[in-house]
Amino acid sequence: MRTSSLLALLASLVFVTAAEDGAQVYNSLCVACHGPDGKGLNGLPPLVGSDWPKGTAARSIKIVLNGLEGPVDVAGKTYNIVMPPQGAVLSDEKIAAALTYVRATFANGAGAVTPDEVKAVRAATSKRLSPWTSEELLKSHPFPPSKSPLKHLVATVYEGKWMEMPDFSTLKPVLMEDFNVGILDPAQSGRKEYYAVVWTAQFEASEEGKYLFTFDCDDFGSLYVGGERIAEVKGIGPLGKRSKEVPVMLKKGLTPLRVEYVQYGANAAVLLAVKGPKDKTPRALSNAKIKVVKEKVSIPIQPKDGVAAIYRNFIDNTSPRAIGIGFPNGLNIAYSADDVAAELFWNGKFMDGGHHWTDRGAGNEPPAGTNVIKFSDGQGILLEGAAGNVVRYGREKEGSEWKFFPVNVAAEFKGYDLDKAGNPTFRAAGEGFAVSDAWVPEEVSGKATLTRTLKVTGEKTVVIVLARGLAVSGPTDGVAELAGGLLVRAISGPAPKANANDKSLTVTLKPGETAVLGYSYR
Amino acid sequence: MKHLSFLLVLAGLAAASVAAPAGKVDTKASEARQSEFYERVEIPTPAGEVCEVSSIALMPGKKVAIGTRRGDIWIAEGAYDADLSKIKWTKFASNLHEPLGMFWKDGSIYAMQRPEFTRLTDKDGDGRADSFDTVCSKWGINGDYHEYAWGSEPDKNGDVWMVLCLTGSFHAHSPWRGWCARITPDGKFIPTASGIRSPGGIGANDKGDMFYTDNQGVWNGASALKWLRPGSFQGNPTGNKSAALLNFPAPPEPTSGSRILTERLKYPEFVPPSVILPHGIVGNSPSGIACDMTKGKFGPWESQMLVGEQTASQVQRINLEFVNGLYQGAVFHFLGGFEAGLIPVRMDQEDGTMFVGGSNRGWGSRGSKPFTFERVRFKGKVPFEMHDISARHDGFEVTFTHPVDAAAAADLKNYSMDTFTYIYQSSYGSPEVDQTTPTVKSATVSADGLKVRLVVDGLVRGHIHHLLLGDIKSKAGDTLWHNQGWYTLNEIPAK
Repeated sequence: MRTSSLLALLASLVFVTAAEDGAQVYNSLCVACHGPDGKGLNGLPPLVGSDWPKGTAARSIKIVLNGLEGPVDVAGKTYNIVMPPQGAVLSDEKIAAALTYVRATFANGAGAVTPDEVKAVRAATSKRLSPWTSEELLKSHPFPPSKSPLKHLVATVYEGKWMEMPDFSTLKPVLMEDFNVGILDPAQSGRKEYYAVVWTAQFEASEEGKYLFTFDCDDFGSLYVGGERIAEVKGIGPLGKRSKEVPVMLKKGLTPLRVEYVQYGANAAVLLAVKGPKDKTPRALSNAKIKVVKEKVSIPIQPKDGVAAIYRNFIDNTSPRAIGIGFPNGLNIAYSADDVAAELFWNGKFMDGGHHWTDRGAGNEPPAGTNVIKFSDGQGILLEGAAGNVVRYGREKEGSEWKFFPVNVAAEFKGYDLDKAGNPTFRAAGEGFAVSDAWVPEEVSGKATLTRTLKVTGEKTVVIVLARGLAVSGPTDGVAELAGGLLVRAISGPAPKANANDKSLTVTLKPGETAVLGYSYR
Repeated sequence: MKHLSFLLVLAGLAAASVAAPAGKVDTKASEARQSEFYERVEIPTPAGEVCEVSSIALMPGKKVAIGTRRGDIWIAEGAYDADLSKIKWTKFASNLHEPLGMFWKDGSIYAMQRPEFTRLTDKDGDGRADSFDTVCSKWGINGDYHEYAWGSEPDKNGDVWMVLCLTGSFHAHSPWRGWCARITPDGKFIPTASGIRSPGGIGANDKGDMFYTDNQGVWNGASALKWLRPGSFQGNPTGNKSAALLNFPAPPEPTSGSRILTERLKYPEFVPPSVILPHGIVGNSPSGIACDMTKGKFGPWESQMLVGEQTASQVQRINLEFVNGLYQGAVFHFLGGFEAGLIPVRMDQEDGTMFVGGSNRGWGSRGSKPFTFERVRFKGKVPFEMHDISARHDGFEVTFTHPVDAAAAADLKNYSMDTFTYIYQSSYGSPEVDQTTPTVKSATVSADGLKVRLVVDGLVRGHIHHLLLGDIKSKAGDTLWHNQGWYTLNEIPAK
């Protein structure tokens, strides 16, 4: 007696220790996305209510080891995310502990996972380098069949071309079949185009309360609950915009449910989902699931009251040290402080902060407007016949490793001034010289133009790249045309020169010299 | 009968495992008492604006500037006033690149932006910055959102210290990621310390030594306050390869799965964390740093470090001491209940007002508002607390803020101590390991009742020593506001 109680005690202690470790791993690694309560944070998938952590442990172990990417259905919703791999970071013991914790806490007591199981999966998948897809995992490790609340589901199939709902009582079915899976799927018709299905079932409400039904069809159909039509999708069209959500009060027990569905042509789909009084997420009753499209938040950034707007962040197709300027005349530029050069030119909307200013704001944001022309690439300030001696640090990828090296350039960024109208004068300097680069919006012969004034001071003759990387025609009568339709017009100062070698347009300025140029669309 | 007692034992075990590892804090109770000692007030931010406060700069004339994650800088007049409804905000600059660290000097605001350290000046006096001087931009960035740059206030030489987060917090895909550098007033970039992972703030102590907070993750078993001794290695080798850019000696390549003590004894440049903030117990993600030099205006914590906490929306308190060439000390829970995840912490040393701000975008926090700007003031009533814990060759000396009830304070039952450390490894975080339970052999109360000298059998060099006090009251009968501290014993002092 004593021995056995002691053993029981020891066993419980061991369990407690393992569970604490799993919670620790979960709370340091997993919690940021899946949330402290397992319900998911910031639109990321939940573990609670999900089939993924249930059943065989191998599926979950694979996800933790190698990650998962692409569309994935979780608890009635479709996500398109990347779960980062943790195999290189976590030991078998940690993964086992974390999964044991997740399965015990969020997956209705699915069984514990041992380090040996993790070790075995790790060995079996050691050649796998990329994240898994949902499809691959579900092929190897399907979910255990779940009990659908649709009982006695029968599909009755009709053939014909209908543009609106027929009177099924007058039609002769071609097929009538029971589907114990309790899931609506147009494929159950065995047909590809021009048919109709009437599904009948008893919907089992596990308790009394409000049930929210979501119904949608490609092409059209009606949903009846308790003998009443509660939702109708009319006409020919895909899933999405016509989706209906209808709450119904149900008593505990069985309620008749009927779906009438017509497929006109090909591309069949039916979506039926229900969210019960205690459900956190809708449950799919059809093979189609509710798609969660994360709404893009829009925070337009535009010039206001005649004053130019600025945006410092990662702008697509220039360098990380980007400075966007949106002028009130509808023209915009992005200046690269890495290259000391203006590089992008576009018109219309300036920038949208919705991407960088929500969530973690990862990645680049393209200009919000139109006709984006990348008119320069690489260093914009050069010395004749010399590399320059300003040290910056560059990088280059060798295999999977980034190699760093010092780079000598002629000039580096020194900042900018803004006038009362928000117009920028960018400043750069190298040893013994400085360059100022001012941009002002103007109308020239009725055309929106940016007038650029370049000035060199100090003691060096400097080559300034006005454009590089696009085919240059001209200059003719002082006007050079860049492929894509950007005109660079020499207004005053030394004449720009086109160089066929690197498809560039440059102007050479001696100390004290100024060049004025107009940039506009053709 | 036997059966029943067995069940009771089990119940006891279950309770212990739920109620948590020794010393789980009753946050609610401690925050409930906070208003006896400190007044925490939300400062209204500009109407209709999203002000995810990422930087705070104190300016002459009781003006306060805030920088936001969206890159705006606003200047407040009236942030110190009793009636905050009359606060006046002026926009100084727009849409900078996530400034994390800002100060006022010689008529300009200096801001550490992600791509550059910038001096912003209003030359024409219209209240808006019109001159933006790039003081330095030598470090690499590649578009990764995690490549944060955090800047300090200037040190006594006028140099600004910056800490550069790793790429994605795991990699070094751009030059100088994972390094601390100094920027001189004329813009020179001086890489100063290696081994950094993911900082949340940077600030100096009263001696002018610079510290930063580093967040739990790879090579970081738990978050910590770390001392940026010039030339030091802070423990994460990911960014080591940048050393070759300036022909610096290669930083240590420590062994994963070891202990910090073992590895730092191999590599003299490895400065261990000054004070470890046990993960999930003290906090999850430390942020801004302020040293209390208010001479009592903020309470009796002169020279102590106040550290923000993003996840728990709190401020922790740390006492530091210098032993055998290293900093070490104890962390205590302090202020809580802030409205969002805290990022910057700034102390007005003249006035004793502490300003904090924050956001919970991208990383959740206990404070549930999307952003906040707040101030905290000491109300004058000194809480009964452990003021500090100081190491001795054979134990610790605990100083209290008020004389203790001598009988209770001499009772050994009222002291329990346990120690632990973390695995020093390349994987993410670590469990607490190598636990020991030292014995408190004697507790001697000083004549003035302010100090208790603990002789402890079983000090462990390199371990966190967790001291949990029992029913110790002040002579006047006050109960402790917080009853535990965590001392990182890097070095055991000589006799």
